[in-house]
Amino acid sequence: MKPRHLSTLLILLVLGVFLVWPVGHVFVRSIQDEGGFTLHYVKGLFTNPAQMEAVGASFLIAVCVTASCLLVALPLAWLFARRSFAGKAVWSALLLLPMILPPFVSAVGMRMIFSRAGALSTLLMQMGWVDGPVDWFGRFPFAGIVLLETLHLFPILYLNLVAAFANIDPSLEEAAVNLGATPGRVFRRVTLPLAMPGVFAGMVLVFIWSFTELGTPLVFGVRRVLPVMIYDSVAEIGTNPAGYAQVAFVLVVSMAGFWISKQILARQRSVATLGRLSLGRREVPLSRRGTLLVTVALLVLLGLAVLPHLSVTLLAVSRRWFLTVLPQGWTLEFFGRALNDELTRNALLNSLGLSLCATVLDVLIGFGIAWLCVRGRIRGADWLDALAMLPLAVPGLVIAFGYIGCFSGAFPNTIMDPRFNPVILLSVSYAIRRLPYMVRAAHAGLEQVSVSYEEAAANLGATPLRVVWRVTLPLILANLLAGGILCFSFSMLEVSDSLILAQAEEFFPITKAIYVLQDGLENGLNVASAMGVWAMALLGAGILLATSLMGKRIGQMFRAG
Amino acid sequence: MTISATPAIEVRGVTKRFGTVTALDQVSFSIQSGEMFFLLGPSGCGKTTLLRILAGLETPDAGQVFFRGEDVASLPPHERGAPMVFQNYALWPHLNVRENVAFGLVERSVSRNEQKARVDDVLRRVGLETMGGRMPGQLSGGQQQRVVLARALVLNPFLILLDEPLSNLDAKLRVEMREEIEKLREATDITFVYVTHDQADALSLADRMVVMSAGRVNAVGTPLDLYTRPPTPFCAEFLGEANLIPAEGIGSSAVNTPLGRWRVAAPGLEGGKSGHCMVRPESLFPVTASRSGENVFTAEIRGLRMNGATVTVALDAGGLVLKATVLTQDSFGLRKGIQIPWGIAVDNTIPIPAEPGGGSGSRP
Repeated sequence: MKPRHLSTLLILLVLGVFLVWPVGHVFVRSIQDEGGFTLHYVKGLFTNPAQMEAVGASFLIAVCVTASCLLVALPLAWLFARRSFAGKAVWSALLLLPMILPPFVSAVGMRMIFSRAGALSTLLMQMGWVDGPVDWFGRFPFAGIVLLETLHLFPILYLNLVAAFANIDPSLEEAAVNLGATPGRVFRRVTLPLAMPGVFAGMVLVFIWSFTELGTPLVFGVRRVLPVMIYDSVAEIGTNPAGYAQVAFVLVVSMAGFWISKQILARQRSVATLGRLSLGRREVPLSRRGTLLVTVALLVLLGLAVLPHLSVTLLAVSRRWFLTVLPQGWTLEFFGRALNDELTRNALLNSLGLSLCATVLDVLIGFGIAWLCVRGRIRGADWLDALAMLPLAVPGLVIAFGYIGCFSGAFPNTIMDPRFNPVILLSVSYAIRRLPYMVRAAHAGLEQVSVSYEEAAANLGATPLRVVWRVTLPLILANLLAGGILCFSFSMLEVSDSLILAQAEEFFPITKAIYVLQDGLENGLNVASAMGVWAMALLGAGILLATSLMGKRIGQMFRAG
Repeated sequence: MTISATPAIEVRGVTKRFGTVTALDQVSFSIQSGEMFFLLGPSGCGKTTLLRILAGLETPDAGQVFFRGEDVASLPPHERGAPMVFQNYALWPHLNVRENVAFGLVERSVSRNEQKARVDDVLRRVGLETMGGRMPGQLSGGQQQRVVLARALVLNPFLILLDEPLSNLDAKLRVEMREEIEKLREATDITFVYVTHDQADALSLADRMVVMSAGRVNAVGTPLDLYTRPPTPFCAEFLGEANLIPAEGIGSSAVNTPLGRWRVAAPGLEGGKSGHCMVRPESLFPVTASRSGENVFTAEIRGLRMNGATVTVALDAGGLVLKATVLTQDSFGLRKGIQIPWGIAVDNTIPIPAEPGGGSGSRP
């Protein structure tokens, strides 16, 4: 058997066992119980009042988050794609900052600002504007969830939009101006319609993300949303198929979104190849006044976006933050405790180990898939690529639920049973979730490297494996590194799989430890925050490193289509 | 062509810099109404920048542009009324042919009925009446080119700008489109400004043209004038093959060259100025009978290359390398290595002063 067929088989085996099986299992179990085929549980989603409320609330959150992300990201992306101004490079790096903290950790910090005894209430009372303390998030939990998820997710939409705008041939806009369209009309009649597939793809990404976000509503104590209901139903996974129906529903919604956006993207590609690309675009410089306005707007936006980071950091360096505007009792003790307490030290080590395994797995499988698709000349390469992209449409929630359903049932009390020992399945689930980024990164690298380098090596006597080792890998190392760093960083902060799969304390990764600690007594919140700061620093450094390796192409890895 | 008092377009002292590169340096010329006017030059000479300045897509650092006597510097590109045919067509892939063509009419708030009538009319004129519903991607290159033309024509502009419109077409389509453009301009009184690096397009289509080099106007004139009596060595070489023989003027109608004293067609090097004598290869002919006439010299044939209807002959005249083109049917006595006399008609012996700065021939 040729190496490329062997590797195809291996990759298909891994994807089959760890992606297709759990997903299929969820579908099957949602329409089947001891009595055989039944639509009872699916119907329950639309008849049971509690479930209906949860479905409605989840949709409402996702729609609001998507809309508000669009509101922020659309003007921002146009500005960064079409105008130049002082400090643009720095701003565009800073805009990625909000991604480095999972929104549920943000929520932990933000509670201290918006709670009854929090900074905002205290400030307003001191100013005499309100009579008594107000629990802002308690009173408006939905607004809080939407706000935090928006602040976290708008960069992803922004990256998609910038890429969509940048891909438009400048002469298409110039032709519109030339035939009499004002700048506003050019945007409405040419730029936006041409960017629409990219806009839609980005919106789908944000929609799914917020539709399936588990951590934030959990921290807000909102139980009547689908992800939290699914989380709660894990406990009765063997006895009550209602959880399967909910997971299947989430999966159908996500997949439908991705399928539609893929169709739209494909349709655009088929018409977009006209003539050859004209001269490069020169960005229009902003006037002094324009630059000032933009700078102020960006300051406000980023100020808002780093508010959660700031509050988490403040929590980490102070003992008390109760009925005061600013926290009190400054200390660095919690950073040390985060590294020394048994629970947190274990969590950090667990996360490091799990993420490292996940990253190695991703680099191997991701490069393999990209190579097979771009260079392998295997039949069905498109299908393989589509399969590798599938995790984009499969929320972590679904994977984790599916793993428990499949592996706890099939291999009880072995290392493949997540309830017994979740180590393998946790790192595999991290890897599967981030596989698309890795495939993208490797794909982009391979497409930039001319085949003739590899042909020359083969021509001079290198076997196919030696060609990959001596020529291909060194040439795309930067891409693989960037992809690997992103996989690692995001694995460190994976939320839903960690919360669901890790059930015994000794196996907790960082995110689960933060979640458990923030409810705990005796400065648990502060230690949790200190862990959050460590994680932020890690993810921030990771994204910066990946960005410097990929340069402007970093946006490609977050693209949806 | 009638020459009215106000030119359709006047470019006055236009200068444009990109960073440290001067793309256009004090460019001035004017274009008469209804002319097919060419901006010709090698790539990087600034011709496309100049066209984009006319369209308002670039702003000159200095100088003015007048449309029919009116300074258009303050007009933003969407108010210029100078539709452009883009080199890469720039057909919007999300709009079909009719929508592409109607784009400018919509911006001008033309009523729906009139839009329909005008689009129908212009599609008929370019021979695409059945293609209105197609998407641009479903058209051939030539058809796309026609849509771009129609998109400009439908606005009934006084001026159309063309940026290398034939460069994306294969040889056969080029010839077809050239004829098409010629027919079009006979049927309208629109002024065309046409940018190209292809001297064959310019020579065959232009009423007048400017030859540009390194951001400057090198020569302005009709194709016939510039080809037969180029004012500069650059122009001579850019428009076709040219023998440039060092020369020094004697009086007003003769020059001294290394090959002897020649009579020239016109003044150009009067008063002892030094420069060149330009002789096109096809103006050199073998002198059959041994005689000493005007502008005759002896040269050795170093090589012959058959082109079909003509033969190119490489000559060595006392160390000076020259090129001659003779009709194949007149070439039978010519063989490599023989020395024979060659002559040039006085009318085809063109004196060209050295270019300011002392350079000769093409500059970078």
